[in-house]
Amino acid sequence: MELSKDPNSNPGRTEDSDSELELYTIPSSSRWFAWDEIHETERTTLREFFDGTSMSRSPKIYKEYRDFVINKYREDPTRKLLFTDVRKSLVGDVTLLRKVFTALEGWGLINYGATSGDTDAEGCGGGAEDEGWRVRVEEGAPNGIRVVATPNSLKPITLPRGATTKDGSGPSSGFSSDCVKLPPLASYSDVYGDLMKQKQKEMNCGFCGDKIDSGHYRSSKDNFMICAKCFTNKNYGDNRSAEDFTLTVSSENSGEQGAVWTEGETLLLLESVMKHGDNWDLVAQSVQTKSKLDCISKLIELPFGELMLGSAHRNGNSNSVNGYVNNVKQVQSSSSSSNHQETSKAQDQSHDLTNENEQNGDAVEESPSKRQRVAPLSDTSSSLLMQVGLIASVVDPHITAAAADAATMALCDENLCPREIFDVEEDYALSVNSANNSARAHGDEGVEMKSSNQSEIDARGQKDGIPLTLRVRAAIATALGAAAARAKLLADQEDREVELLVATIIDAQVKKLQHKVRHFDDLELLMEKEHAEIEELKDSILTERIDVLRRTFRSGITRRKDYSYVKS
Amino acid sequence: MKTPASGFYRNPVKFRMPTSENLVPIRLDIEIDGQRYKDAFTWNPTDPDSEVVLFAKRTVKDLKLPPAFVTQIAQSIQSQLADFRSYEGQDMYAGEKIIPIKLDLRVNHTLVKDQFLWDLNNFESDPEEFARIFCKDMAIEDPEVGPAIAFAIREQLYEIAIQSVVSARESRLSKKGRRGAEYAPVSKGGAVAVDLVKLFGPKSSVVRKRKEWDVYEPIVDLLSNEEVDALEAKEERNFR
Repeated sequence: MELSKDPNSNPGRTEDSDSELELYTIPSSSRWFAWDEIHETERTTLREFFDGTSMSRSPKIYKEYRDFVINKYREDPTRKLLFTDVRKSLVGDVTLLRKVFTALEGWGLINYGATSGDTDAEGCGGGAEDEGWRVRVEEGAPNGIRVVATPNSLKPITLPRGATTKDGSGPSSGFSSDCVKLPPLASYSDVYGDLMKQKQKEMNCGFCGDKIDSGHYRSSKDNFMICAKCFTNKNYGDNRSAEDFTLTVSSENSGEQGAVWTEGETLLLLESVMKHGDNWDLVAQSVQTKSKLDCISKLIELPFGELMLGSAHRNGNSNSVNGYVNNVKQVQSSSSSSNHQETSKAQDQSHDLTNENEQNGDAVEESPSKRQRVAPLSDTSSSLLMQVGLIASVVDPHITAAAADAATMALCDENLCPREIFDVEEDYALSVNSANNSARAHGDEGVEMKSSNQSEIDARGQKDGIPLTLRVRAAIATALGAAAARAKLLADQEDREVELLVATIIDAQVKKLQHKVRHFDDLELLMEKEHAEIEELKDSILTERIDVLRRTFRSGITRRKDYSYVKS
Repeated sequence: MKTPASGFYRNPVKFRMPTSENLVPIRLDIEIDGQRYKDAFTWNPTDPDSEVVLFAKRTVKDLKLPPAFVTQIAQSIQSQLADFRSYEGQDMYAGEKIIPIKLDLRVNHTLVKDQFLWDLNNFESDPEEFARIFCKDMAIEDPEVGPAIAFAIREQLYEIAIQSVVSARESRLSKKGRRGAEYAPVSKGGAVAVDLVKLFGPKSSVVRKRKEWDVYEPIVDLLSNEEVDALEAKEERNFR
C-alpha cells in the first residue's frame, strides 16, 4: 500500500494498479482533484507556492506536501489526521504546512470520511478501472443520510395562518371549510353535503379560535375570518389590515343548523345565480336574508346546483313563473346545455367563454353534435329529472312521446282513483304531441315553449288539490314530454341544417360547372378566331403562289429548267 | 499590521516580530522582600504606555502583591518595550530565512518537547494559533500550556529578529555597496538558519526521512507531583 501510494516512487506501477486502487470518498465539490496535476483552485488558495518568489515554496514542494498529507490520511481513513502528526514528517515552515493542511481539510481531501464517520463506502466498489491515480467522486450524500425538509416546513409561508394548526397556534379546523374548493363532481355535494353543513355550523374565528356566532369579519384577501371581538381588538392576524376585512352578518338561524331556506329564498337564489353567475357577493346581496356562504352551500345542496353554475351565463333570460314548473324547465334547459358543455369539453379542452356567450339564452339554436347524444348517462348528475331529460334527448322524439304516454298510463293503472285527474295529464301529453307537431310545422321554439308552458300551467292549475306524490309523477311525465319535444326540435333543426349544407354544396357545384362551361366557350371562341386567321393565311399564300407562277410565265422561263430545278 | 508584498524576499524587512501580529514577548521575574513574581505575556508595542501602569496596578491588585511591585512591574515592561522599539526602523534580514524552533518547557505538570521549522518571512504565521492546534492535537488539557508554547515561540523569534538586525548591520558595514547572495545564510552566530538549498533544492524531498521523524516529533509528558517538586527545587537552585 505504502509503495503504490507514494506517487514519486511509482513510475512503473502497472502490475499492482488494479489491486491497489481503492475507493475514497471525497466531497463532490472537490472532484477537480487529481494526483498528477495541480488544479486552479489549489493555485488560487495557496498562491505563495506558485509566484516563484521563494525557494522553499514551489509547486513541486506543494505537490509533495499535498501528496504526503493525503496519503498519510489514507493509510487509515477512519482516523482523523492531526496536523501535529503530519508536520514531524515534513520539512518546512510550520505555518505554511498548517495552511496546506487546513486547505486540504477544507476541500475534504483529508479527514472527510473521518469526521462524518461514514467510511464503509470505500473499497466496496472495486477498482477495475485503469484511470491511474484519478479519484472517483461520489455524488452527493448517500440516500440514507440525505436531509429531507420537514413535512410542513413551507406551510407557514405559503398558507394563511389558519393552516398551521399543527403548531397549535390557534385557528381550528373549522376555518378550513371556508377554503374548501369543490371539485367539479356532482357526487361531491351528495357525499359531503352533510359534512359541509356540519363544518359550517362550527365556524370558528381564525385568530382566537372561538366559535363565531352571528357576525364575523372576512378578509377579502384570503377569506380569513375573525370574530367581531377580535376585529374590535385589532387582532387581524398576519399580513392583514383592517381594510381587508368586510363585515359579514350571517342570519341568526344559519348559526343554529346550517340554513333553513324558504321556497322564496331558494327561488331568489336561483334567479340571482342565473343573473350573476358565480359572483357570490352579488348573489348574496340579492338574496339579502342569507350570507354568501349560505348561498353557496345551498346551491351545492340543490341537485342541479353545480350545473346551474356552469350554465348560469347562458340561461340568463329564461326566467319565468312559479316554483315547480320553473325548476323543471331549468333542469331541461340546463341538461341540454350542460350536455353541450360536456361535449365541447371532450372535443377540446379549451372551451372559451366567448363561445359560451354565443350560445347565450336559446340553446336550441345551436345544433347538437353527434357526440352529445352518446354522452354517458351515469356521470352527469344524480338528479332524476336530469336523467330523464338526458334519456329523452338520447332517444327518438316519437319514442319519448310514447314513453311519456306509457308512463302516464302506467301511473293511472297503478292508482285507479286519480285516473280522472290524470285525464288532464293525458290531455297534457296530447298537448305536448301537438306542440311537437306545431314545432315540426313552424320550427319555432318560442311557440313550442309557450304552448308547453301553457299546458303545464293548466295542468298545475287543475291539480291544486292533488297529493304531492302524484304531482311529482305528473311532473316527471311532464319532463319526459317536454324533453321529447325538445329533442324533436333539435332533430328538426339538424335536418334543416343538413339540408342547408347540402344545398350550399350543390350550389357550389353548379357554380363550378357554370364556370367551366364559360371557360370552354371562351376557348371555343379563341379557336374559331384562330381558325379564321389560318384560313385567311392559306388564301393569301395561294394567291401569292398564283401570282408568282403568273410572273414566271410572263418572264418566259422555260418549263424544262423549272423541272430540273424541281429534280435537283 | 501591514503585510509586505511578495517581493520582500529580495529586500530587507524593517524590524518587527515576524508574525502576523506584532506582539512583543514580555517576561517578568521580580523579587521583592522574599516574594517572587514570575510572569510571561505579550504586549502590543503600539498600545499607549499609560496602559503599562494600569496593567501593573491591576496585576498587583489581582495577585494581592505588595504595592512596591507596581513600579517594578511597570519599569520592567517599559524597559523591555524600549528595547524592542530601539530596533524598530532598522533593517532586519534579507532573503529567505527558515529557522528551527525548539520547545522544551514545563508548565505545571506538563512537559513539552518539540522541534519544528519557522519561516521568518512568513508574516501570516501565528504562534498562538499554532499552540492552540498543538494542544488540541496532543490532547493537552491544561489551559496554561498553549499560551506558554506561543510565548516560547515568540521569545525565540524575538531573539532571532534582534540577532538579524545586528548581523544585517554588520554585513552592511562589511560588504558595503555590494549585494550579497540572497540565499546565503546571513547569520553568524546564534540563530542557525537551515540550509535552504539542501532542504528545498530540486534533488531533495520535503518528506523527511523516517529516522528524523523522532527528532521533530512533539513529546508531551505528564509529570507526577514528586517530579515537579524535584524540578522546581532544581530550578530554584539554578536561580540562586
